[in-house]
Amino acid sequence: MSTFIDIKYALRLLFKAPKFTAMTLAVLIGGLSISLFTFSFLYSTMYKDIPLPNGDTMLSVNAEFNGAFQILNSYEFSVIKDQQTVLSEFGVYDKNDFRLSFDDSGKNVFGTYVDEGFFTFSSTKAIQGRTLQKADMAANAAPVAVISSQLWKNDYSSNKNIIGKTIIVNDIVTEIIGVMPQGYRFPGSSHLWLPIKSSMIKTSPKNANIVYLYGRIKPGISKAKAEQTLSQQLNALYQQSVTQYNLEKGTKSVQLLTFPFAQMGGQGTIIFTFLNVIAGMILLLACINVGNLLLARAIERQKETAIRAALGASSHRLVSQLMWEGIIITVLGGVLSVLLVGAALHYTNIILHSWNADALVFWWQWGMDKETLLMAIAFTLVTIFLSSFLPAWRSANQDINTTLRDGTRGAQGKKAGRLSRYLVTTQVFLVAILMLIGSMSAYVSHKFVNLEMGDDYSNVMTARMDLPSNKYPEAQQQIAFYQRLMADIKNHPKVVDVVTNNWLGSLSLTLDGVDYTDENSKPTVDTISVIGSTDTVGVDLVDGRFFDHQDKAGNRKVAIISQSMANRYWPGEAVVGKSFTLKVNDNNEKLFIVGVVTNRMNPATMLGKLNSADEIYISALQFMTSYQILYYRISGNLINSEEIFYQALYKTDRTIDLFYAVQPAEKNRGLMRDTMQLTSNLTFTTGFFALMLALVGIYGLTANSVAQRTHEIGIRRAVGATDKSIVQMFLKQGAKQLIIGLGLALIIFVLIAFGFNKMSEGIFPAYLYLVIGATVVIGLSVIVMLAIYAPTRRAVKMEPSSALRYE
Amino acid sequence: MTTLIELTGISKTFLTEEIETRAIDSVNLVIKKGEYISLSGQSGCGKSTLLSLLGLLDSSTHGSYKLEGVDVSSLSRDQRAKIRSEQIGFVFQSFNLISDLTVFENVMLPLTYQSGLTKSVIETKVQQVLEKVEMSHRKDHFPSQLSGGQQQRVAVARALVNDPAIILADEPTGNLDSKNAETVLTLLDKLHQEGSTICMVTHDPASAKRAERCLEMFDGRLIADNINVKNNATAMPTPELAVG
Repeated sequence: MSTFIDIKYALRLLFKAPKFTAMTLAVLIGGLSISLFTFSFLYSTMYKDIPLPNGDTMLSVNAEFNGAFQILNSYEFSVIKDQQTVLSEFGVYDKNDFRLSFDDSGKNVFGTYVDEGFFTFSSTKAIQGRTLQKADMAANAAPVAVISSQLWKNDYSSNKNIIGKTIIVNDIVTEIIGVMPQGYRFPGSSHLWLPIKSSMIKTSPKNANIVYLYGRIKPGISKAKAEQTLSQQLNALYQQSVTQYNLEKGTKSVQLLTFPFAQMGGQGTIIFTFLNVIAGMILLLACINVGNLLLARAIERQKETAIRAALGASSHRLVSQLMWEGIIITVLGGVLSVLLVGAALHYTNIILHSWNADALVFWWQWGMDKETLLMAIAFTLVTIFLSSFLPAWRSANQDINTTLRDGTRGAQGKKAGRLSRYLVTTQVFLVAILMLIGSMSAYVSHKFVNLEMGDDYSNVMTARMDLPSNKYPEAQQQIAFYQRLMADIKNHPKVVDVVTNNWLGSLSLTLDGVDYTDENSKPTVDTISVIGSTDTVGVDLVDGRFFDHQDKAGNRKVAIISQSMANRYWPGEAVVGKSFTLKVNDNNEKLFIVGVVTNRMNPATMLGKLNSADEIYISALQFMTSYQILYYRISGNLINSEEIFYQALYKTDRTIDLFYAVQPAEKNRGLMRDTMQLTSNLTFTTGFFALMLALVGIYGLTANSVAQRTHEIGIRRAVGATDKSIVQMFLKQGAKQLIIGLGLALIIFVLIAFGFNKMSEGIFPAYLYLVIGATVVIGLSVIVMLAIYAPTRRAVKMEPSSALRYE
Repeated sequence: MTTLIELTGISKTFLTEEIETRAIDSVNLVIKKGEYISLSGQSGCGKSTLLSLLGLLDSSTHGSYKLEGVDVSSLSRDQRAKIRSEQIGFVFQSFNLISDLTVFENVMLPLTYQSGLTKSVIETKVQQVLEKVEMSHRKDHFPSQLSGGQQQRVAVARALVNDPAIILADEPTGNLDSKNAETVLTLLDKLHQEGSTICMVTHDPASAKRAERCLEMFDGRLIADNINVKNNATAMPTPELAVG
């Protein structure tokens, strides 16, 4: 009965103060929703079991070397496979990009080379035909493939007689032997599964290749035990190789990770913890606000509480009675947050899947689930404890005698007042930091999105490849391959020009006639090896010439430098014909400048200016590397232009695997820009939410602080204070908190801005930091002062006689 | 004796949720300088409201209010505040001290709202009134560290510090035990003897009898105005009192 009365009373109080209720609810929903969304999104991304039968026992087998995440190689797999006794299933797969050809066109799909145990491991059968078997893995077996349900529906119109039909995969006629169920894309985003041939798993430690491994622990063996046993075997194997092949010294161990966790490179815990701590801080901010608002209410009702205590109410009874208001508001906030987060997750899922469905692993499905609901309950309980129990406990444990005989009724206690002021100062500080850093981030994002790269990727296609060393061991063979491939591509009527290049990193430069104290005192310059002309990608010639067929091994070694380098080391001079020494492959090579080209953005100085760092181009015919990035410019539109490359590649050597599918050169950059834009938008939205949260909190704290001092205002006015003097008094007190909070935030901002300005080489003018600082100071001051002025003005408008009677 | 306050046809009506309550109903009252007046009547008769109107804590709905010959019934809020800080002293039943201020700071408060007073003048005045109420030894204490009687003596000191034309006391002994009540009443007697004009709302007949003039209210009207026998040996309605 008494609980029912308490609930009824709490509801009456909430309805009596609808503005307070709405504000508290808004603060709570904001904090809970941000925390809950962050948790749910990250949990679904990293920790959820794969939605396959026995998904909870499916593990990715990885390595850790000197604390860093690593993928095992084919040699290690082949040895451990025979030695290990702790895994009931242990197999290999290799992810790849495949080209499906249809007459004169084609498309790229994500696919996987898998072994015979792969489909058993994922406990999934084909809905048509069969999955891959051991016989399919044989070197002389006919090429076969299993396709995804999505591929079958979209590209083969759900042909019921698809089994036995042939498709062209990487220019090889391949028979379709099975179709997998809807949604099956294991081990990530595959649409195609091909048998892994024994030739793909190199068992010699010398030419071992990276492979992906899966495993399932035998029943009765713990994960720790399995990891320990496998680690001992792996480390013993590695230590043999260290001495035999002079490898880096260290300890290698095995990590058995869930597939979602392995997807994050084993770094999931750090990201998960970091982002949840930030979201938790926002929840804490909300709890502080709500708790303080409820505490203010409890202080207002201190006399009532004291009377109840005097009439015999126990502490337990008082706490429970005082808590109901908070419990009702928190539970309501929790329910509304769950609904809001459910909708947000649903739309996030739709947006991300429509944005890049093929690149998303199949277990990334975001939405309201059991774990999120459980976490919502946990968050709600924590919020009830922080924002309801603590204020109620504090109020219920007051000194009854003091309160009842206190002639200074209604006035805020000294401690409560101080606490309130500290909280306002803290909130001003947090909001100011958020606004300052947020403004700077927004500017940086804007800069990134509109970054001047110094090149022109429009109508340019790109492909990355690395020639296998066993087939192309000599530089001359590699050169011949690339020259033939480039010639074939260039022969296409739609192709304007072709160039390949490879960034060799920052190499040590020695200028003629300059004394260097040691190797470290020499400048380093980004060096790129090139076959062809860089104007294909918009790096145009300013002086001299591009490389030609004469710039080959045995002839004088040549270089083309950027304008920035010419201006830096030979200002005002003609540089063509000059020479310098560059350390290439540990050899000091004397190079003669044959041309000067326009500047481009260097990865190391991404936030710098185009001329912040220099570039040296050297002829790949003189300094060949097996890895090259090929670019070709198309005249007209890019439709089906990737087919030009594939046709040329299959003509040159069909066995070459690409690192990535052929794609417009702008695509990656566009993806980076889109990601930056999305991250920026998400940060801005979250930051704005947090900002609103804190501002509502500051307003609420001030309004309650003023309300609690209404009686004091009455006294002051009774003894002659004017409206203006009362308002000024409150504004002065608020200004103190504002100055301290803003001051601390500005000190931190100055330090950050100083460091950032140094890092970005002054790319942003100094006045920009001043403008950001001034805008935040003025904006926040106006908002905080308004938050103080509005409730003070209201309290002052009351006649002193009413204010004196104010409870 | 010269006239200090002159109320003519003063009324005060409260409107609460469309219910009109006439708290003060056409009151005429003249208060001379140096008078010690008690105002009594049953609860809800309008005593405290009348005192609030006298102290310019509230404004009347009708009628005229002259303070030292100046019509103050239509002054602005700030003008009324100025008069309160310079000419009126309040003593409340519930003391109404500010808990975060020390005794000294509480007493000093009315002077801080006056302009042109130097710090040393303010400190001297505060010290003097604290000595008068025998509370100077507790000047650095906070109200919560004082007894009820001591808090009320501080409140009296605060009411005196601006040398007011009138001290308005709203049941100053209502929250005190008999001993402390006697101390406060003796203090008021002493102030009256020194020339202060005092108007005190009280329920207690014994307290009322200490005043030289006893007013009685009923339903928002003044129904009696007696000269205290002890003080003046007569008991008759005065011509200034005309119940409207």
